[in-house]
Amino acid sequence: MSSWRWWELLRLRLRSLGQRGRVETELKKELSYHLERQTEENMAAGMNEREAREAARRVFGGVSQVEEECRDMRGTQYLENFVQDLRFAARTLEKNLSFTVVIVLTLALSIGANSAIFSVIDGVLLKPLPYPKADRLVRIFYRSDNYPKFPLNPWDFLDFRARNRSFESMAIYTHADLQLSGAGGDPVKLSVFRISSGYFRVLGVQPARGREFDFEEERPNSGDVVILSDRLWRNQFAAAADILGRKVMLDSQPFTVVGVMPPGVDHPGNTYNAVAYGDTVDAWTTFTFEGDSNRRGSHYVEGIGRLKPGVSAEQAAADFNSIMAQLATVHSNDRGWTIYMNPLYREVVGPVQKLLVVLLGAVGLVLLIACVNAANLLLARATARQAEIAVRAALGAGPGRLIRQMLAESLLISLMGGAVGLLIAFGGVRVLVGLLPPGFPRANSIHVNGTMFAVTAAVAIGTGLIFGLVPAVQAARTDPQKGLHGAGRGSGGNRRQTRLRAALVAGEVGLACLLLVGAGAMLRSFVNLLRLDPGFRPEHVLTAEIALPEANYKTTESISSFYQSLLDKVRALPGAHAAGAGTDLPWTGYDDNMGGFVFEGRRKPGPDNESHARYHVASPDYFKAVGIPLLSGRYFDARDVKRSQRVLIINDAMAKTYWPGEDPVGRRLSFDDNPKESDWFTVVGIVGDVKDTPGSSAAEPAFWWPLAQEPFGFGGMKVVLRAESDPVLLTDGLRLAVREIDPSLAVAHIRVMDRVLDEQYSTPRFALFLVGLFAALALVLATIGIYGVISYSVSQRMPEFGMRVALGATGWNLMVMVIREGVLLTGVGVAIGLVCAVLFSRVLDNLLYNASARDPLTLVGVALVAMITASLASLPSARRATNSDPMTSLRAE
Amino acid sequence: MSKPSDLIQGTLDLLILKTIALEPMHGWAIAKRIQQVSNEVLQITQGALYPALHRLEQQGWVRGAWRESETGREAKFYSLTKAGKAQLEKELEQWHRLSNAVVLVISAARGQEV
Repeated sequence: MSSWRWWELLRLRLRSLGQRGRVETELKKELSYHLERQTEENMAAGMNEREAREAARRVFGGVSQVEEECRDMRGTQYLENFVQDLRFAARTLEKNLSFTVVIVLTLALSIGANSAIFSVIDGVLLKPLPYPKADRLVRIFYRSDNYPKFPLNPWDFLDFRARNRSFESMAIYTHADLQLSGAGGDPVKLSVFRISSGYFRVLGVQPARGREFDFEEERPNSGDVVILSDRLWRNQFAAAADILGRKVMLDSQPFTVVGVMPPGVDHPGNTYNAVAYGDTVDAWTTFTFEGDSNRRGSHYVEGIGRLKPGVSAEQAAADFNSIMAQLATVHSNDRGWTIYMNPLYREVVGPVQKLLVVLLGAVGLVLLIACVNAANLLLARATARQAEIAVRAALGAGPGRLIRQMLAESLLISLMGGAVGLLIAFGGVRVLVGLLPPGFPRANSIHVNGTMFAVTAAVAIGTGLIFGLVPAVQAARTDPQKGLHGAGRGSGGNRRQTRLRAALVAGEVGLACLLLVGAGAMLRSFVNLLRLDPGFRPEHVLTAEIALPEANYKTTESISSFYQSLLDKVRALPGAHAAGAGTDLPWTGYDDNMGGFVFEGRRKPGPDNESHARYHVASPDYFKAVGIPLLSGRYFDARDVKRSQRVLIINDAMAKTYWPGEDPVGRRLSFDDNPKESDWFTVVGIVGDVKDTPGSSAAEPAFWWPLAQEPFGFGGMKVVLRAESDPVLLTDGLRLAVREIDPSLAVAHIRVMDRVLDEQYSTPRFALFLVGLFAALALVLATIGIYGVISYSVSQRMPEFGMRVALGATGWNLMVMVIREGVLLTGVGVAIGLVCAVLFSRVLDNLLYNASARDPLTLVGVALVAMITASLASLPSARRATNSDPMTSLRAE
Repeated sequence: MSKPSDLIQGTLDLLILKTIALEPMHGWAIAKRIQQVSNEVLQITQGALYPALHRLEQQGWVRGAWRESETGREAKFYSLTKAGKAQLEKELEQWHRLSNAVVLVISAARGQEV
């Protein structure tokens, strides 16, 4: 059949439905034309008008019957019947308002929750990343036995770029905040990335004005240039049309603006000193570097590339590994590394993919439970309506017709639930986005959209069909004779239906237990996290960031003296206990790594013996202010000045890794392959370990240079203030102190350390909250289910209870009987649920910290909660059972 | 019941399709034509014609259009669609097969009787 014909048929059906009035008029007109013609013919044959008309009608047959048959031919009667069914269903539901409200609300809650979670998944996981051909973007890392993902060394990058055969273009970038001044108003700290020339070509975005950096600008001293984000251009430069070529002051240095990006250029995210994925970057400057191309131990730049069409990430990694092998023959620092390529999509959403899928699973289970509940309530009502159904069956309604009618009812319920659910989803998406942990990837692309509407509608219809089918088939199987007979006796329930309802409730209890076990495991994991010793003391600590412009603070001395005088000032503030400055705060992401140490008195490490540690800089009181304990040796102090002995403090992990079984204090190490006497650093202290994040399996080796001796001239520091009580009270004092020393400086990111901690807990807390919420919802739904079945069973057994009382049973006996029924029913469900929980427990493994869904305590706890809930749900019915009257029972029999 | 009891089930469609294959016609004319051409042998109940016409229309085999009839009044004229022409071919072929088969059976039965 040609598609044209399908189209034609559809048009005809739609016409029959949509223009019903016109189709009807035409039918009447057509038939009356026929009758008139026949009448005229008869008159021409000599009849008078009345005879002629009657004769015409006679040969025609019954006009209204013909009309009806013509209507049947339109092929739309199914739909018209359906509308009829819907009307009937609406009337029935209106009569059982409380019943309807309960089902619609429970469905609405679960459908709404599903749609809201779906919206989040749609925005975060399903939408492609906002770059052209985003599936070809790949993040490039080093990998070794100890480090699964490690940043690149820029010299290596140059070699990769020159020899690469797999990428259309590739780039490196690294976080380097700058301070903008002289744009009118106070100095502002900007989130800035230093990028190599191909960066925007890799991402596939062109500047809205001006141009991208070119190759020449990668060379040191080629002149400072900057590309502004649309946001910065509008907010700080009033969207000036003549911005290109203008000089702006960044860290007190003039930078020439060469480009402005269009709005919404999403930062692809970075791992080290992490900046969240999204529109989080204010400006980009060129990445330049100098030094000895044979020293490649420093790893601090992030790699990204756009694959050539048809090249996979694995092929590219193989290509790069062969380049790496060549490099390793020349550069000892490059030994022991392989290349790891991770598609950008996976890099961005990978950390939350599992969590979101688990949440969707949890909310899906809730919906399933709500379905079971709705089916159960419909079944109960179908039993009560058995007489009505029997009458309809006796009057000739076939099984198909009965099923359709029952389905119309369930569809009406589920569509109402869907409509209310949509409202809940609207609010829910907003609440969810508000609850999302800070830095949640792609939170900016979560929106309520048409997809959510479509999904909600589909889910609503799907649910209606699922929970309507069981009662509908049951109704269709109604035997009219038995139904009418039973209804007359007022005890219509049959065993099969009761068993079916009990099985459904047991199933829903099982599902609820599954969720409860998940929530319980997450709760334990969260408690474990909170109990974890962070390795520092976050209470009463205020932190802030200051970036000293290189132009004004060129030397380590000038930097060190700035911080020294600042720290002296703030320590003197009333309520301040200790003040320190350091390059990094605990639990705020990875740091940079230094490698290739030489240990005094030991053989030079072989190529396979790689040594690496995170490097930091700290002022004397930094550890005291952050609350990291000294394990051995000493903290930095006034002795550690520029020209004194060069010293280091290391953490316990570094001590155990590189001096196993020895005391490192007093030992020396160097970062030079062939150290002179002045290249040696003496370990003076060992401090406690702090993990990268609370979820990390172990702390990484790390060391600190004293502020006065650090080799790189780090101007950007985090100031840490430990207060006697509320640290927020020190905020103004800190600002004032900075302004007194250098009014051109911005104090950025002022926050209390508790908040830093809080952000670290926010993801597991988010997961716990939602799974807990869904589990609670599931428990409530299961309670309704248990209550419904037990209550129905009691009303059926009232005569029996009466007899028992007549035979000497006490009220207590009856209550125990009823509650036992509820608990037994639940027990079966709990058993099913716990077995499933153990079977599926691996799903949660990566999301838990030192906890498991196979944990016996959790399982027992859940079983107890379920049993207690079952007893409580049976209690009202049990009390009703004690009201049974022996006389009524005897009379009825 | 207005079912055409004197017509073999299903042949009414064939008759209608064949009749309007020549030119578009309205219902009354179709009824008259079938009667005349069959020498008044096929007496269809006139009313039964319309459900059949409407079914054929819904199946896309005929198309109805209102225009002025020979008496000057508006009537619904039915014409064959492309799909309808194909359907007519199919039904004709079936009819020939069926009637041949019936003839064969009847003549064979007659031979046995003799």
